[in-house]
Amino acid sequence: MRRRLAFASLRRRRARSLLAILGVAVSGALLLDMVMLAGGMRDSFRNLLLVRGFQLRIAPKGTLPFDTQATIGQASAIIATLRTNPDIVTVSPILGLKLHVPSRNVTTVAIGLDGDVQADYELLSGRPVSGADHIVANQAFLDATHARVGDTLTVAVGYDTPRRRVVIAGIARFFYTAAGELVIAVPLATLQAMGGPMATDRVSLFMARVREGADVERARQWIADKMPRISAISTGTALQQFDQRMGYFRQLAVILGSISLGVGFLLVTTLVTVSVNERVGEIAVMRAIGVSRQHVVEQIVLEGVALALAGTILGMGLGLVTARAFNAILSDFPGLPAAFEFFVFRPRDAYAAMTLLATAGVLAGIYPAWRAASLPVADTLHGEAIA
Amino acid sequence: MTIAIATPTPRPLLKSELLSARALVRDYPVGGEIVRAVRGIDLEVTAGEYVAIVGPSGCGKSTLLNLLGAIDRPTSGTVAIRALNVGAMTDTQATLFRLHNIGFVFQRFYLMPTLSARENVELPMAEAGVRSAERATRAHELLEYVGLSDRERHRPTQLSGGEQQRVAIARALANRPALLLADEPTGELDAQTGAEIIALFGRLNAKGTTILVVTHDEDLAAAAARVIHMRDGRIIADETRRRS
Amino acid sequence: MCPRFSAVVAGFALVTALAADTARAQSSIAIDERLAAAAHLGVGDRVVLTSEPGVRGDTFVVGAITRRGADPSEVARDGYRIRLHLGDLQRLLGAGDRVSRFAVASTDPARTLARINSVGFGFRAYPSAEIAVRTSKTFRVLRRFHAAIGVITIVASAIFLLCILLLKVDERRRDIAALRLMGVSRTSVITMVVCEAALISLVGTAFGALVGWVGSMVINWHYQGVYHTPLTFSLVTPGILTFAAALSIVLGLGAGLAAATRLVHRPPLALLGR
Repeated sequence: MRRRLAFASLRRRRARSLLAILGVAVSGALLLDMVMLAGGMRDSFRNLLLVRGFQLRIAPKGTLPFDTQATIGQASAIIATLRTNPDIVTVSPILGLKLHVPSRNVTTVAIGLDGDVQADYELLSGRPVSGADHIVANQAFLDATHARVGDTLTVAVGYDTPRRRVVIAGIARFFYTAAGELVIAVPLATLQAMGGPMATDRVSLFMARVREGADVERARQWIADKMPRISAISTGTALQQFDQRMGYFRQLAVILGSISLGVGFLLVTTLVTVSVNERVGEIAVMRAIGVSRQHVVEQIVLEGVALALAGTILGMGLGLVTARAFNAILSDFPGLPAAFEFFVFRPRDAYAAMTLLATAGVLAGIYPAWRAASLPVADTLHGEAIA
Repeated sequence: MTIAIATPTPRPLLKSELLSARALVRDYPVGGEIVRAVRGIDLEVTAGEYVAIVGPSGCGKSTLLNLLGAIDRPTSGTVAIRALNVGAMTDTQATLFRLHNIGFVFQRFYLMPTLSARENVELPMAEAGVRSAERATRAHELLEYVGLSDRERHRPTQLSGGEQQRVAIARALANRPALLLADEPTGELDAQTGAEIIALFGRLNAKGTTILVVTHDEDLAAAAARVIHMRDGRIIADETRRRS
Repeated sequence: MCPRFSAVVAGFALVTALAADTARAQSSIAIDERLAAAAHLGVGDRVVLTSEPGVRGDTFVVGAITRRGADPSEVARDGYRIRLHLGDLQRLLGAGDRVSRFAVASTDPARTLARINSVGFGFRAYPSAEIAVRTSKTFRVLRRFHAAIGVITIVASAIFLLCILLLKVDERRRDIAALRLMGVSRTSVITMVVCEAALISLVGTAFGALVGWVGSMVINWHYQGVYHTPLTFSLVTPGILTFAAALSIVLGLGAGLAAATRLVHRPPLALLGR
């Protein structure tokens, strides 16, 4: 009967109930988006780092991978040193440079890597980087140069460096490059040779994979102790740096999420309060005929919860739609890997948002309900009779 | 002059005595002053009586009814129903007591507008924990008794004033209360409809329901077996016209 | 060819100095104030700079301490910044006669641009305005993101406002019924309600503007501290104030009008519950 009364009360004032549900839905959508933003982008970044299972990045001292144009010298010696650690099973060296295709007037990012241990791309068709002159390219590069797999192109680092003929062996999807960026993967030795003395035996970054079951942090510390002129960054460290860089978004998420929750709470509590004020006579009569205060409170709180839940369910759907829109906007950030997402849906985010809103709905109804149920019955009936 | 009266020890109830009020006082603060609405009333009502309380507006009739019905607490004095001091009960206890022992009928009906006639009658039974099927059966019986079995599914807005009041009476009888209290039950009804309600009260009392009504309606007062006259918060006359 | 050292040469940038350079120009450097604080350096101190850890470097004198400019692209970067004379850095890096870029002032920029791009290989010339647009892409994206958030916030606020005004007007339905029964026209009643809504909107706008202005100050204070930058993160301009005021008043009037119109078209007796 309490449920019946609660829903009947909501149906009685359809327009305001619908508006309240809509208001809670929009607040709920924003809340879900902010919860997704607060946790999702971190997950996305971690997944990106571990896409090929490399847990360590080794960069020039004091820098993050590709954060600057600095490179690491004596790369061969470093690889040899790294391989002395039995916990480190794979080392992938990477050099990043800009290459030009004079005949097509195109400039591209070139990643020099060891095709046997590479972790930068997924081959979509054709053959991987191999030999001295076989490269893979992404679709954006092929479109810009009007080239196809099998074509030979002449590339150079600059106008005063030797030109080189390379063959496009395959098409790849690069994990760490921005959408639309032109990228090719070149054999490391080839790119180092093209770079001249400034690139000889130099890399921009190493990626290292630690054997299963080994302690990644211990391996990281070993590298830091053994080779103090480079910086070893574990996934954990990288995530900490990420948190620091993306702190703005997390703070924004917390602030906007809190405001959304507050707005939803205010909306429900205002609606319940006004609704209760209109029905003090009915409530007094219920108390007069023997309905307990607790049951009156339960019925009114149920109205608030019903509004909050209905709004929440609608808001979850709306939130997923707006998250996609927000993601599309933020994906335009320059230099952001195409695979990175700001808004990642995780079921626990939806549960968290729903729980928060439902709790707000309960709390929003409690005070006005208790106030109304505690009004002196006789005085209230007298007041209603006069009114 | 106001005399403070110590709360007396309730005297033993007579076998058929249902309600007993002793030295009942109710004060209200109004604009910084204290207004004494009920001034030391003593009253006994036996089971099966049909009592009308009459008096000019503002004489304290409704206040007295509220005190007797455990809706309000006396400033001093006692109200005992079935030998229980309802004036000393906590709110929770009083609410529960009202649910099982007292039925209320109000001038303005106060039906739940969002419930049907039958659901309105079921409401006190639902609160008392009566099962759904049993509630429905009893509600139907009560509505049939008051002549509204064909209007069960109608909402209050679809019923006339008289029909609404009959639903209210059926609701008041839902949990088989010992006492039926009515505050101006015909106040918002026309003469003919009021007469129907008066007749219904008569039938209820004939079946043994103890009824206390507060009224300005002379016809309703005339239908009662005992009429209590009030003025300025006091009982000035208590006339028994016939045995109930 | 890229310089290997992680400091940035800004040979053409304007340096804001906090202390005068009294040392020899050729071997002096300018460091940013955060580095000075972190490494306890002052003007006149000598430092050794190397292109890589563990290799031999050159000694320089700190000639000036600079403050980071209000450059949005530097906001999230924690790195220190050192300015050297071009030749010193080229020598330190072994970069020979190489630079990262040139800045060119020209009496005929368009013609100069075209000539450079037609003869150059391996580099391109861009108008400064285009560079500004490209490097501000981050903030254009952020702006769109903030605008999208703003749209949703406005929608939520509008619904909230409409709901509240509906409730408030509904609460007054007996008053409205009494006025209508007395003979007051629908138009007069609507005008009364709309005026009330306008007043509420105006007061709310003023209060909201104050809250927004204080919030803006708090945001700037907080993020300037976090990122050690004089950059202004939040700015309340007359245009923004005007837009916010206009929007809230329009929403308030609209909500009041909708709520009042709903009620005045119901029969007065129905409003009284008869």
